Parts: sequence; structure tokens; C-alpha cells
Amino acid sequence: MPVTIHLPGALREFADGRASVEITDPVTTLADVLAALWRLYPAIRDRMATEQGQVREHINIFIGDELTRYTGGLMSAVTTGSEITILPAVSGG
Amino acid sequence: MIGQVLGHCRIVAKIGEGGMGTVFRAHDEVLHRDVAVKVVKKDSALDQTASQDLLQEARASSALAHPNICTIHEVGESDGELYIVMEFVEGRTLHALSAAAGLPSDAVLRYGVQIASALARAHDRGIIHRDLKSANILVTPEGLVKVLDFGLAKDVGATVLGGSTRSFATQGNTESISGTLSYMAPEIFRGQPADYRSDLWALGVVLYEAASGRVPFEGQTGFEVSSAILREVPAPLGPPLPPGLWAVIQRCLAKEPAQRYQTAAEVQAALGAVQAGAIVAAERSVERVIPRTTYLHNVRHVRVRKGDFLLLVGTTKGAFILKSNLERNRWEVGGPYFHGESVYALAYDDRAGRHRIWASTHSYWGTLLRSSDDFGKSWRTPQEATVRFPADAGVSLNNIWQIALGREDEPDVLYCGVEPAALFESRDDGDTWSLVRGLFDHPHRPRWMPGNGGLALHTIVLDPSDKQRMYVAISSGGVYRTTDGGHTWTAQNCGIRSVATPNKYPEFGQCVHKIAMHPERPERLFLQNHWGLYRSDNYAETWTDIANGVPSDFGFPVVMHPRNPDCVYVVPVESDQFRCTCDGRLRVYRTRNAGASWEPLMRGLPQKDAYETVLREALVADSLLPMGIYLGTRSGQLFVSRDEGKSWERIIEGLPPVLCIRNTFIQETAVGSAKAPPSDTTPQPSSRRAKSTPSKSAAKSRRRKS
Repeated sequence: MPVTIHLPGALREFADGRASVEITDPVTTLADVLAALWRLYPAIRDRMATEQGQVREHINIFIGDELTRYTGGLMSAVTTGSEITILPAVSGG
Repeated sequence: MIGQVLGHCRIVAKIGEGGMGTVFRAHDEVLHRDVAVKVVKKDSALDQTASQDLLQEARASSALAHPNICTIHEVGESDGELYIVMEFVEGRTLHALSAAAGLPSDAVLRYGVQIASALARAHDRGIIHRDLKSANILVTPEGLVKVLDFGLAKDVGATVLGGSTRSFATQGNTESISGTLSYMAPEIFRGQPADYRSDLWALGVVLYEAASGRVPFEGQTGFEVSSAILREVPAPLGPPLPPGLWAVIQRCLAKEPAQRYQTAAEVQAALGAVQAGAIVAAERSVERVIPRTTYLHNVRHVRVRKGDFLLLVGTTKGAFILKSNLERNRWEVGGPYFHGESVYALAYDDRAGRHRIWASTHSYWGTLLRSSDDFGKSWRTPQEATVRFPADAGVSLNNIWQIALGREDEPDVLYCGVEPAALFESRDDGDTWSLVRGLFDHPHRPRWMPGNGGLALHTIVLDPSDKQRMYVAISSGGVYRTTDGGHTWTAQNCGIRSVATPNKYPEFGQCVHKIAMHPERPERLFLQNHWGLYRSDNYAETWTDIANGVPSDFGFPVVMHPRNPDCVYVVPVESDQFRCTCDGRLRVYRTRNAGASWEPLMRGLPQKDAYETVLREALVADSLLPMGIYLGTRSGQLFVSRDEGKSWERIIEGLPPVLCIRNTFIQETAVGSAKAPPSDTTPQPSSRRAKSTPSKSAAKSRRRKS
């Protein structure tokens, strides 16, 4: 069963307009999932991560309902069928 | 020693012996905990002063609270015996763990990040380790790293190699010296003092050793080791070591401190990047991903023709293009472009027949450099960011503050000033960019401090008469100049007062808000500081205070008249606490005598309850005759003066806060085109880069008529 990534509007233009992307590669961590996503759609990577590999400050990634900031970041475990949601944080002015 | 009591610790067993002394397991009889006690050898070369220094260092180190630093609980002296009571850590040294053939890369990264984190904390507190080596690093069974002996090694002047070469070691034990030698940085052998970058060298040695099981510079004797450290390059560590980790190790092992990372935090970030880099750095496409071209259909565009005059306006929520003609009295507004994104920098490139707008856009999703060749109808957007720090830099791009065009005869050269403070250069018309290492590796960089807007390189000034000379301004770092095309840079802040440092005239560290140069008098620069207005008439060698009659010498922009090198415009604001125009009156101040006196320009500008701020890029002059000047406020108002500042009109209000303004007159052929001679009665274009200046009397006559 693939892992599904739900993309926010701002990233869809870099994924051929898709609102969600399914990853069928074998993955065990969030890092694996993102690597697979970025192989498919390279333009998404620089929008999500800094040159130093950190997820940008105001971008939240959820596995199910859990914010991965508090579950191990990129090393958070992902299992078959996981639903991953990328959302901009509520902030700004 | 067994059974003895030092302080309130009873010695239980000997657990090790090192260069400094013997380490015992002990029991703290007051706090009922196991501790380690290091007893400094009595036959040490330490004299009385050195002993006191050691005590002082140990006390300072005891204030370091960090999970990767072995805590020092107590230091003391008992019967002439120096001892240090430390946290008892169960574990093995990194030296022992990596002894066979090195550790797997993931372990090297895991431990490396922790060691770098420990160094970063200590360096922040002004403490240099001085003797970092794998034998001083313990790894617990849980994988937690503990760095021992912070700041305890002292240069006691013991000659271990002969000549001027000195050792850090506190003890003349040959084995410990040779152990320490392998980690010593080249500058130490050259007789220079150790600083925090010497620790970063040692960290490079430790990482190399952890990855391979051997130190990078070996020899049978101390002389051979030191010779290798000074002259040889380490044997490369290939796969399975990730290339990113090898790049980090190499940079730590740069022979010159200035070529290394400048802070441990950078090493930590770079190692973290390699760690996560499974996902980022290592996976960048080998082949460039072609930029996307986005056509904006739901934006109001202006139709631009030859003879139009344009204002490009960047705001916190997008960019706008305002179109007029030479009269500059009726305006059509296009935009917003990059809806919701901040546009800190814009540029218009008309070199080599182009009509190209450059824009930097900044949002949650990062910072990108975009360009349009059709006045905003479509934008080229890189799929992968083109302006980016290399993975080994240890920092990430936060914003682009300025886009500057190269010289007229280098039409494919562009520069970007960015945050964190750095300069990028493109020599292929913006397709690819490279970090200007000469500035990035400057030894001052670790001591530049972020200002209110971050640590930004926001101003780039090229000397049109000398291709090798160029200036940048950094908040807060000051003015830096290169005279060799960017290879080396010097701080040029002599005479600029700093309010944020105890030394009021430091070599660098000033919060320079803007500098401006008149292209026909490149030796002359004007400078608006965070408090202070200055002029230099000698290529920034020295600066003279010219705040003669302004209501405040605090402000952001400083703008040159394009044809009069004595004429400069500023917008004073009240103070750094209250960054609003003085007394609620929006006034531009002008000098026409190079700063000997200033006059307020206010006709048409609000003079009551106008608590406005004009940011550093939000005041610009055009190159027309008579000269126009444009002012944008944080309250979203845009004003124009068509008579060199004498009178003003509001063009528009209600924009988002204005960050930057650029202007251009659209000509068919941008480079080397012959211009009609200026008329005295109607506004005329004037070559932006004209080499000849109208005679002073003609200019004066024109000013009178305007």
C-alpha cells in the first residue's frame, strides 16, 4: 500500500498540478518519503528545505495527525499506507 | 591516593592516566554521587602562574552546561595538589571506538554533530578547548558524546619540537605530546596563537580518524608529524564515506584558519546537512532542471513601449510596475506580481539590448531570483534555487537584499547581496551563481552581528573606473572593499562611529545602512550609518562626519544626484527606537555641497502626523533631465518629485509597505545609444551611464529653469 502525500496549493504547480502524490518506493522514514517525492518533482525540494537540509521554519509536515516536528523530524517513522500532509504554518503578517 | 579525600570526594579507584595527570573514580560524600577526579601531576611543568591559570580556566569551563560537555563540578587545591572533580561518564573514548578501521559514516556524523555542538557552546562562552582529540571524547553506551577537558590544556611554553614550535600539552610526557601533536593546527606550528578555529582543525582530525581509524597526518617523529600538518594534504577518504562528509572534513582541515569554517555552529549545521542530506544535498539533480516560465493571466499588466518611464516597486506583499512617460505626471499601475511574497530586491537590466526585470521573492517557501523579459507578463522561475550556499558552507539563504548589475562592458555579470551576509556572483547572465569565497571566508565574518533586519549584505557598489574595485555594506559588519576583483576584502570603516560596541571606532562591526558613490568621482562615497552621516573622498580609506544640520543623523537611504557629485539626498528618522520621520513631518534632506550643509525638501510631502519610515532601497533618483526622485514609505505611499526634490506629488497610496524602488526609461537600444541633446524646456532622457557630464553652467541653467 503506497504512502500518500497531500500537497498544499503552493506546491502543486511543481507537481503537475496534483493535490496528492503516491509514493510506492519502499520507505521507512519521512526522509525517505521526501527523497522519493523530490526525485519525482525536483522543484519541490528547494521550496520545502534549506540548503542545509532543514525543513523550512514555517512548513509543517504531518504523518496522519501528528506534527513531525515532535515525533523525530525527518527520522519520523512512516509505515505503509501513511498519509502525509504538508502545510504552511499559521504565521506571518 | 586510594582512600584519600580531596575536598569532599573520597578516591575509590584509578581509572586512567593522561598527559595532565591521573584520573580516579571517586565518591562525593556530600552529594552521594560517583564522580571522576583528575589530579594534576605534581611533577608537571606548571609553574605557580600556570597553576592559577589552569584553575581559572577550569572554573570558567565549569560554567559550561551542555549535554555533550563533561561537567566540571569543582576545582581545588589540596596540599599543593591541583584536582578537578568532574561528572563520571561511563563509556569508551572515540579513539578506542574508531581504532580498528573507523566507524560507519552514520556514527561519524552522529558523534560529529554532538562534538561540534559542544564546541559551539564553549566558543560562544569564549572558551577554546585547545586539546580536542579522540582520546578526550567519550561515547556512552547510549551513543551520547561527552567532550572532556574543555580549556584545561594550557600552552606552558614547553618546547617539544625545538625552535619556536610549542606544544599545548601541559606535560612533557612524550606519548601524550605525540598524541596531541596530531591534532594541532598548522598555525600553532607557525608560532601563531590558537583560536577557536584551531579547535575546528582538531575536529577535522577527529572526524577523519573516526571515519578511517587513522589520523590524517602521521609520522615517526614529532618533526615528521608537524611537517605533514604544515605541508601535506590528507589522503582522500572515498566511498562509502558520503562526499558531503568528506567535504566537511576537508574544510575543517584547511591550512589557513580563514579558509576553514568560521564557527563550530557552521560545522554542526554542515554535518547535520550531510546527515539529513540523504535527502537534500546529495540528491540535487546532476543536470540542471530547466527554469519554468510562468505566464500571469490574472494580474493587471501595463503595456510598455519605447519612450515609457517605469517604476518598479517591491513591497512586503508583491511587486508593482508603474508606467508613465517622460513627464512622469500620470501613472498606470500593474501588478501585484508574486502575490503575497516579499520583494526586497529588484533590478532592471538593459545591457546588451535586454529589457529584463530581476526580482528576488521571499516567502515561507524560500527565496528565489526570478526574471521577466516582457515587463512582467511572464516570469522565469528556477525550479532549483540558483542563489544558494554550497552544502559545506554551514548556512542557508534567508533572503536576497540586493541585485546589482555588473559593469557596462560585462553584460553577463550580476551580483546578489544576501542574508546571511554574503555576496554571490553570476558570470552567465544569472543562469548560475557562485558564492564569493574571498568575502565569505573573511576572518571577520564570525564576528559580524545581525541587525534588526538580520545579518544582511544589502549594498553592492562597483567602481566603474576600476574593474578590480568594489564595495559592499553589511549590517552589522560595516563597509568592505576589494581591490583585486573580489579575491580579498578589507574593512573600510575608519572614522565611522559604532554605538553598539564599547570601542566607538572599531575596525569593523558598524551597522552601515547604505552607501552611494558617484560614478564620475569614484573616490567619493556617501554613507548613512545607524546613527551617522559620512563622506569619504579617498575610496573609503577614511570617513568624515557630515551630519551638519540634519534633524537626526539616523536614517536608511542615501541617494546621489546622477550628475552632481556634491548633491545627495537622505531621509532622517528620529532614532533607532522610533524609526519614524522627525516631528511627524516627512522631509527629504539634500546637500548640494557634499555635506557641508543640508536643506529640507518638503513641498507636497505631508507635514503633519506623518510618522513615516523610508527604507534603504525606497528612495531613488532617475537619470532624466530634470532629475526625478521617488520615495516610498512603509505606509505604502509613493511620492515623486520631478524637479530634483523641490516639490513632491503623491503617485499612489495604499500599497503594502514599500521595500525597494527602481526606475528605468525604456529605450529601443540600451547600450551605447546616441541620445538627443537635452532640451531645457521639456523632460529628456539622459544616458544612465553617460561618461560625459553636462557642464556645470548648463546644469545650473537647467536647474534654474526647472
